[in-house]
Amino acid sequence: MRIISQLMAIPGVVAAGEYAFRGDRYSYEGHLSPEAARMASILCRANTLSVNMQTEILDSFAEECGCKPAQGWIVRGRAVTVCVIGNIFCFIQNKEGLLNDVMTVMRAKVGDIGDDMMMSMYAKIGGDVNEKLY
Amino acid sequence: MGDLMSLDQLMKVPGAVAAFQYSDKGDLVEHTIREGTELTPQVLDLLAHTCVANMAIAAMEGKGWEALTGQPGFAPLQGFSLIGLDWSTVAGGNHGVVLRNRDVDYEAAFAALSQCNE
Repeated sequence: MRIISQLMAIPGVVAAGEYAFRGDRYSYEGHLSPEAARMASILCRANTLSVNMQTEILDSFAEECGCKPAQGWIVRGRAVTVCVIGNIFCFIQNKEGLLNDVMTVMRAKVGDIGDDMMMSMYAKIGGDVNEKLY
Repeated sequence: MGDLMSLDQLMKVPGAVAAFQYSDKGDLVEHTIREGTELTPQVLDLLAHTCVANMAIAAMEGKGWEALTGQPGFAPLQGFSLIGLDWSTVAGGNHGVVLRNRDVDYEAAFAALSQCNE
């Protein structure tokens, strides 16, 4: 079963999706309009690039400190939480136990994110990615 | 809650290896680091700045999302977590806690942070 369908089978999950590295292509299931899903994909990609930049900087202060590469991020709202691991996003209700369950599934199914994912995300910019990144 | 007492509470969250308090601008105010970890006060100071920056962006995105989609539930922002390879930082208000991913309990961390910031 695809990870999106697995996440959607968990009670309390509002929507789940996968965004392409460019941010303008996506697939999703759940209670989001196509336009909202498009915005969610772009927002998630932008935030993922941002936290990756932050862990690169943290790593330069303390090499091998265990932060790099970034695996994802969570935004906890009043009643809704957004979880992102790699290029998978999930909107969930703030129900007891749900956040930990969803994060466990996402980490287990997506696996550790390597530097190659960031290479792919930056690759769409064009040119020499290694030169641009490092 | 007192600053040091808050950090003690945060260090009780499963997997906690460091806890810190920061100013509204992101400067490190108080911190505790468990012995034997690779984290340094310098890294925590930088982390504190990222917490402030990420929460400001997330608050903006949450408000914008609600306005554009009409879907409520984001504002006010409760917190933000940056998930690294070995550890995660969970932040809310003016406090943050660093948790080892293998023992992490995100919900306990967000709950402890909301108590600190009451």
